[in-house]
Amino acid sequence: MSSLSYQERSLYGELLADLAVFVPYFVLIHTGHPSVAFIAGSITILIVAQIVLQSIIAIATRNRLKDERDRLIALRGYRAGYFTVVSLMLVGMGLLWMHSMHDQLNAGHMGLHFLSVFFAVLMLAEVVKTVAQLIAYRRPL
Amino acid sequence: MPRIRNTIRELRAAREMTQQQLADRIDLTRQTVIAIEGDKYSPSLETAFRIAQVFGVPLEQVFQYEGKGKR
Repeated sequence: MSSLSYQERSLYGELLADLAVFVPYFVLIHTGHPSVAFIAGSITILIVAQIVLQSIIAIATRNRLKDERDRLIALRGYRAGYFTVVSLMLVGMGLLWMHSMHDQLNAGHMGLHFLSVFFAVLMLAEVVKTVAQLIAYRRPL
Repeated sequence: MPRIRNTIRELRAAREMTQQQLADRIDLTRQTVIAIEGDKYSPSLETAFRIAQVFGVPLEQVFQYEGKGKR
């Protein structure tokens, strides 16, 4: 761990928090219908986990410098995340439309289904962005 | 694949300078200095000039371009 820069440690913390929230969310969402409270709870836990982990990493790391390579890698990560958002949003919207066409969705809960898809897409894009950045740190640029 | 080679490791060793000392003088992380030395990252032109300035040598003595020229 000592060979990792602050940015890398921060990314591992980010990934850990994302997976700790997203994996249970993904499993539980398939066992029952999504609710606003469940999605809001997941978002709250994610924010708290990120704050706690990032604070610990910041306290434990003396040199928190960010240089040009870190900024370049961050841009690459955001590009990967953006393409994930766009691709998955199209797939998600398409699936919602298909299910609604076959009367498999309760029209009264359409907003909730949109929220659920939107949250899942954002979480997956966040994981892709973080993993892309971590890979970039280990490969030639 | 065009490659930019460098002699930072040799220049540093000649001056008994650590990677961290070099990193501190040019506002980079030690990990980025390691990546540059290992030809895994080509720095910006500004950083390249600053590295040459730290060693007090011309830029071309620090960095050498080994790609094919095109006219």
